[in-house]
Amino acid sequence: MEKILEIKNVEKGFGSQKVLKGISFEVLKGQVISIIGPSGSGKSTLLRSINMLEKIDHGNIYYHGNNIYELPDINKYRLKVGMVFQNFNLFNNMSVLDNCLLGMTKVLKIDKEKAKETALKRLDDVGMQSFKDRAPQTLSGGQKQRVAIARALCMEPEVLLFDEPTSALDPEMVGEVLGIMKKLAKEKMTMIVVTHEMGFAKDASDEVIFMDDGVILEKGGPQKIFNEPEKERTKLFLKRYLSN
Amino acid sequence: MNLDLIKAWEILITNFPIFLNGIVNTVLYALVGTIVGLLIGLVFGVIKASAISPFDSKGVKILKKVSQFLIGLYIWFFRGTPMMVQALFLYYGLSPIIGWDGPMAGLFVISINTGAYMVEIIRSGLSSIDKGQNEACMALGLSRFQSLIYVILPQAIKNSFPSLGNQLIVNIKDSSMLSVVWVVDLFFQTGAIANTNYRYVETYFVSALFYLALTTIATFFLNAMEKKLDIKDGSKDYCA
Repeated sequence: MEKILEIKNVEKGFGSQKVLKGISFEVLKGQVISIIGPSGSGKSTLLRSINMLEKIDHGNIYYHGNNIYELPDINKYRLKVGMVFQNFNLFNNMSVLDNCLLGMTKVLKIDKEKAKETALKRLDDVGMQSFKDRAPQTLSGGQKQRVAIARALCMEPEVLLFDEPTSALDPEMVGEVLGIMKKLAKEKMTMIVVTHEMGFAKDASDEVIFMDDGVILEKGGPQKIFNEPEKERTKLFLKRYLSN
Repeated sequence: MNLDLIKAWEILITNFPIFLNGIVNTVLYALVGTIVGLLIGLVFGVIKASAISPFDSKGVKILKKVSQFLIGLYIWFFRGTPMMVQALFLYYGLSPIIGWDGPMAGLFVISINTGAYMVEIIRSGLSSIDKGQNEACMALGLSRFQSLIYVILPQAIKNSFPSLGNQLIVNIKDSSMLSVVWVVDLFFQTGAIANTNYRYVETYFVSALFYLALTTIATFFLNAMEKKLDIKDGSKDYCA
């Protein structure tokens, strides 16, 4: 299968504290990778590094074989790698529809009418079409996150990165967002998901990465990680999580 | 105090064209000063608020630091000295070089003086925007400039609108200081009238009423504009 991203020996620190200590893995086309692990293990930093929201100190990240730090235009790379944030980050000064249109009209330079068609379709996919004229401030957390996913999908990214997409949601709203993510996984959208939702990691992903203290402790299919983890640390983490 | 209201009315009526001429100039100086000041504030405020990113090249980092230092110096001088002193200093100082007249110097000074305040207002408006807004722009592949124009600045301007508008009110009043460089504004004309009729109390009373009327009208327009921004933004939380 086609290799989209290759993360090689990535290291990153904030001040004297090392957050990523040599991370390597590959992302193949159509693959859903879940990254799990305790808070502070570097999961979000890793995801943000992939989208160049953080600058890595050592190592390399390759996109279709090209080092992303040597690309002539990082914005062209970023629009291929969509991102869904924990805090949604919808543009507060725009309606739901305009949130979806901005990237298409200004970055992809798609004609406004055509962009509108796509945006409405994507909003429909996440069940938010009837909210198109609403301001983000008037939506619930789950609705905001669904719009954020639609906004990312409008750019037709090759990979979607999810940074704890359900962590800021009320328990009742987690399901609606996970449902959409599962649907995307079924449609073979390539996704990297940092999550605390073990159910999603277990059921929807092709590969699960367990991170602890800046390193990948264990990775493999969900069956292996959840049913026969090799490392004691993984067992302990899962035991605590699943007993909750 | 010896205020004769009938005399005041008489002064208003007989000198109305002169007052009106002064009012027109006061409004002109206040508007130009506020608008040019806002433009200065937008450009310099964005530069002053732009953090050094690890992705910046060494040249960009140095450029940012130097320009931020220079803008700091500009604000330090223009906020730290009276506008009247600035007007006289720059008028006499630059007159031999560029040969400008007082009113021109006055227009320059009120703009650049307002700019110094606007930079700080815009900068604090920008820093009130959640950094997630910018990250979402980056994730969509928007350039730094596009993010500013479409997402960040509209929100920053909206948040700081009351302070920005306040500068217009301040300028309506403070343009009076420019009379020292022969700007023929309401204050200048009031002085001219009072010096011929010797009815200082009544003449300045009329002048105060005019200033009050101008600031009241300006406040009314600013409030209407703020309301409009709110509706356009749709940020009224009608769910709560």
